[in-house]
Amino acid sequence: MTVLWSMLASVSLTFALLHLFIWIKGLQPWANLSFAAAAVAIAVITGMELMVMRTMSIEQMAIILRWVHLPLLVLWVAIVCFVRCYFKAGRSWLAWLAVGLRTLALILSLTTGQNLFFDAITGLKQVVVLGGETISIAQGSLNPWYVVGPLSTLILAVFVLDAAFTMWRGGTDTGRRRAIVFSSSIIFFLLTATGHSALVNAGVINSPYIVGLSFMPILLAMSYELSFDLLHSAQLSDQLQDSEAELRLSKQRMRVAARSGELRMWEWDIVRDEIWSTDDDPMLYGISEPQKISFEHFLNILYEEDRKQVRHSVERSLIKGNGHYESEFRITMPDGQVHWFNSRGRIEFSEDDQPLRMLGVTIDITRRKQAELAVQQQRNELTHLSRVTTLGELSGSLAHELNQPLAAILSNAQAAQRFLARDNADLAEIQDILMDIVNEDKRAVEVIQRLRLLLKKGEVQHLPVNLNNVVEEVLKIISSDLVNHNINVNIDLAKKLPAVIGDRVQLQQVLLNLIMNACEAMSHTNADRRRLFVHTKQNGADKVQVSVGDQGPGIPSESLGSIFEPFFTTKLQGMGLGLPICRTIITAHGGQLWAINNTPNGAIFHFKLPTSSGEGV
Amino acid sequence: MNESAPTVLVIDDDPSVLKSLARLLCSIELNVTTFSTPEEFLDQFEPGIHGCLVLDVAMPNLNGLELQQELAARGNELPIIFLTGHGDIPMSVQAMKQGAVDFLTKPVHDQDLIEAIYAAIETNRMSRRTHDELNEIRKKLSTLTPREREVLDHVVSGRLNKQIAADLGTVEKTIKVHRAHLMTKLKVRSLADLVRLAERAGIMSIASNRNDGQT
Repeated sequence: MTVLWSMLASVSLTFALLHLFIWIKGLQPWANLSFAAAAVAIAVITGMELMVMRTMSIEQMAIILRWVHLPLLVLWVAIVCFVRCYFKAGRSWLAWLAVGLRTLALILSLTTGQNLFFDAITGLKQVVVLGGETISIAQGSLNPWYVVGPLSTLILAVFVLDAAFTMWRGGTDTGRRRAIVFSSSIIFFLLTATGHSALVNAGVINSPYIVGLSFMPILLAMSYELSFDLLHSAQLSDQLQDSEAELRLSKQRMRVAARSGELRMWEWDIVRDEIWSTDDDPMLYGISEPQKISFEHFLNILYEEDRKQVRHSVERSLIKGNGHYESEFRITMPDGQVHWFNSRGRIEFSEDDQPLRMLGVTIDITRRKQAELAVQQQRNELTHLSRVTTLGELSGSLAHELNQPLAAILSNAQAAQRFLARDNADLAEIQDILMDIVNEDKRAVEVIQRLRLLLKKGEVQHLPVNLNNVVEEVLKIISSDLVNHNINVNIDLAKKLPAVIGDRVQLQQVLLNLIMNACEAMSHTNADRRRLFVHTKQNGADKVQVSVGDQGPGIPSESLGSIFEPFFTTKLQGMGLGLPICRTIITAHGGQLWAINNTPNGAIFHFKLPTSSGEGV
Repeated sequence: MNESAPTVLVIDDDPSVLKSLARLLCSIELNVTTFSTPEEFLDQFEPGIHGCLVLDVAMPNLNGLELQQELAARGNELPIIFLTGHGDIPMSVQAMKQGAVDFLTKPVHDQDLIEAIYAAIETNRMSRRTHDELNEIRKKLSTLTPREREVLDHVVSGRLNKQIAADLGTVEKTIKVHRAHLMTKLKVRSLADLVRLAERAGIMSIASNRNDGQT
């Protein structure tokens, strides 16, 4: 018996220490603390039971039985706390009532009779129990307040039952299992311990108190639950470790993929205005160390010319129902090199359509951009070369264009000299002559400027251009050539033609090429049938079409497909680059250039270009 | 006809150039008429006009060379001075072959133009005089009877009266009478004068003119 009870006490203490330790480590703190308190209380009660068994003095027995109500109160409080903290159930008034009655029991035990059990202990009965050991049992008159103890037990049982019922209704499998295991074990313990103690006290049965013993199942039940949790959390932590490893691995993979693709991921918290890159590479955007930056800060990092455009596309993406962002920009890196980036993102909106956050990627496209620029540059060179060649072919008529005003100036000036040499010089006439000289000079300057523009190797412009004006300018340049070739020009320009966005010079070049081809095509046509058509018209809502037609022999049907291929030429002196370059120019302007044969004769070249915004210029 | 002043006709499709040329020619007190297209010129063309033409080679529809041909077809003898922006050689050769008096490149220096114009006017005057003389001769020739004309042909071929009489199947005396008549009609006194006149009228040899009718 002594051994068993000692073992019980030490088991309880072990549990107590274990859960105290868990409590200190901070896992489910209050449940573990209450469990530890309960276990300590049980250990104390078991110890006291052992002392009761072994005592030989009535006074000692009375004192022990009086003070045993203190660990019992602790036990009550611990159970109540455990139920409230761990199961998060139970009516608080029942809890307070049970604890209150238990407190009352302690008070009564200290104030009435020798203790709550006995008014007075009259003697000690020596009983021989299992294992041949002899134990002491108190005998005497019972305390009339004795009933308070079992009452508090009953209330506690009701409280636990009620809590179990609530949990059962809560419905989860774990909750139901806990409700059954825990409530049944507590009720079993309460009823067994209380009933048995009452019977022992009443002298009906001769056995030691078995409060500690009967508490064992509940201790085991509580421990089972807690260990289950512990086990569960251990499993969870294993899983967590696994998934963390997985995450790290996939992060690593992502980073490798991102690095090799020169790709960076970012997130913009729009509400807090914080941009945060998923890459810990501080080189991103040339920021010296990883940090969250605001949108304005980000804009300031960009190349100055690109800021407006980026801001614009971000603002556009923030509009409800859009949500897509894409832009290209440049950043000067810390090493002084300028890098090109392409950035794309998608916006998440809140339920009331407020933009919350944008997730996106940024790709370093410097190499692609450099290649593009190199190609662009070569294309420009070629375009320019072709333009200069074209003008070379036109040199005769261009000289004529320039000669006309010069001839007029010379004749006017010499006429003026002669008028002045007369005695009665007509000053009004001289005035007129000088005015004409000034006008002719201006005309010569215009011719030179037109030529210089075409000869110049400038940056490609993207400005609104009215194709009617382009047609008129080109016809001015080529007019004397048309005259020399006896070609009649039929011009039909659409009124209110919308502007296109493009490079005026390159578009002039295309028209010049097409018109010169048309003229050449008609070199064997009868002089009275040499007619050149130049028409402009609006084609649909957002296109402008220009057509150049001739009355020549047309294009042989087998060549229709190849005339736009480089080095295809039917001319003796042609390089075969005129039409391919025209097509390249038109394609670069987002348009199309094509040729068809006219009926009954001749060919028509059409090109169409997108309008700038549907507005006339 | 000769008493009226010569007129310079200027044709150029560029109004500024036309105006400046007109001014220049006015400044040396020449009569100038301007036309902006060859068609306009042809519409208003008076065959009796004298002077010269100043013509731009490069003009729409009808260029300078074509106008020159057109005028030649109409039997006009106005001398033509061509102006060109870029004087290419084949074109100037063709123009000169077709009888242009000059071929100047624009911008044209006043002195060159004026000299060319004076020269052209002089040429025109000369050719008109020749033309007038020829007309006179032809008129005189037309007064001859067919027999007299036959005799004339034989005389300028250098044949003697006796030979002519034999050829025509008549007597020498008759031939002498015809010869005296035609000398009077043609207003020549000597055989040398007669031969010179016949030469100018294009009557050269009996072989080529034997079957000619009256001119």
